[in-house]
Amino acid sequence: MANDREVLREIWDGKLPICFQLHQEEIMEIQQPDPFYVMVPRLSYFPLVTDKMKRHFLRYISQESADNEMWLDYNGQPLKWHYPIGFLYDLFCGNDPQLPWTLTVHFTKFPENILLRCPNKDIVEAHYMSTVKEADVLKHRGQVMSTMQKKDHNQLWLGLQNDKFDQFWAINRRLMESHGDNEGFKHIPIRMYSDDGICCQRLISPKNNDGSRKIIQQLLSELYPDKPEVKLRTHGILIPLDTPLQWLSEHMSYPDNFLHICMC
Amino acid sequence: MRRMNCNTITPEEFVYAARDFIELSNKYFDSWTIHQNDNEILNTYIKKEEFVSHRDENDKIFLYRAEYIIFYNLSYGVPSFSFNLWDCSGKLLTLEQVREISLMKISKEDFYSVVTQQEHPVMYRPYFIIHPCHTAKIVSAFRYTSRNLIITFLGLITPLIQLNLPLEYGL
Repeated sequence: MANDREVLREIWDGKLPICFQLHQEEIMEIQQPDPFYVMVPRLSYFPLVTDKMKRHFLRYISQESADNEMWLDYNGQPLKWHYPIGFLYDLFCGNDPQLPWTLTVHFTKFPENILLRCPNKDIVEAHYMSTVKEADVLKHRGQVMSTMQKKDHNQLWLGLQNDKFDQFWAINRRLMESHGDNEGFKHIPIRMYSDDGICCQRLISPKNNDGSRKIIQQLLSELYPDKPEVKLRTHGILIPLDTPLQWLSEHMSYPDNFLHICMC
Repeated sequence: MRRMNCNTITPEEFVYAARDFIELSNKYFDSWTIHQNDNEILNTYIKKEEFVSHRDENDKIFLYRAEYIIFYNLSYGVPSFSFNLWDCSGKLLTLEQVREISLMKISKEDFYSVVTQQEHPVMYRPYFIIHPCHTAKIVSAFRYTSRNLIITFLGLITPLIQLNLPLEYGL
């Protein structure tokens, strides 16, 4: 069970200052638009927090581009909206913090070979719910999500979308329970990314073969025996090597119920 | 990797079925190919590329380039079907355009709950992926009777996606 409420709250309240700038090629007015500054929750997704920013820049771009899908880049690298904002920041700026995080806004030349289409927020919700389902398949063979009602699924999504901690955790706590007589999940939903953003998926048990609880150090020597120096970062912090995986999964997972971890 | 469940398969079982399927594909002059990575069994996939045509209500014919990829879904422990379609100018079709040329008359809501665009876990690029949550049921129903699980699996997808499958597979 996710019992360390202070940790959950701290993770939930994590925010990032962002500075959005319209790409030079998009500007159709003589007057240059001001950059747009905003504080966003680390746990959220860009399409959920960029409505105002989009409106701010709309009058500076050409009429034809106004209905196009907006997309973002950092240093020329398109940002994948289907990852939580905090994870994207850790991936690109984890080793070299840059605040506010300056991002470039585009309305043309959508990189369809890199980014998923996101015509509306329903797509974000569908993507989010399918990731939660996948995590539950790993943790409880999908039993928690399939016994929940539609209104519970909605509450989870609305809690995240509207930044309501209590609303979200009232449902999410059920996804963080261990089932049966054993302490812990069947597998830990975890995605570890190298700095090129490539993710390696594995079936990871929260326990060692002898039944003891697995800690990060043991996970690393299991997965990367040839890389003893590798460090892991999530939510802007380096994970202590003696952290038990089960605890990490219960407390440091993103709202999609996956641990998204950058290797550095 | 041990799996106690009878509605999932292991990566090894998937690779075995994939190799067997490729032999059949070659025999029937279908053009599926297998792609393997020596270091990583999870990156094994089979692929087919072809052109498909679609006739709209006004009898106008459109040609598309299609790519189909079947890979092993680690979380669900089942084969997964993914695809992309490009029009003749090389532009990727959107989900709505894919729905319009689907062989099934299916509502937006139903189609979107089955097919979503995702970052492909093996190709690391956007692909349309058929949601795997129903595949587990199919696997448990057919795993001991099916001649080849991938053929059985493909047979269930063809109504949704236009796929040319030689009858010799015995669907």
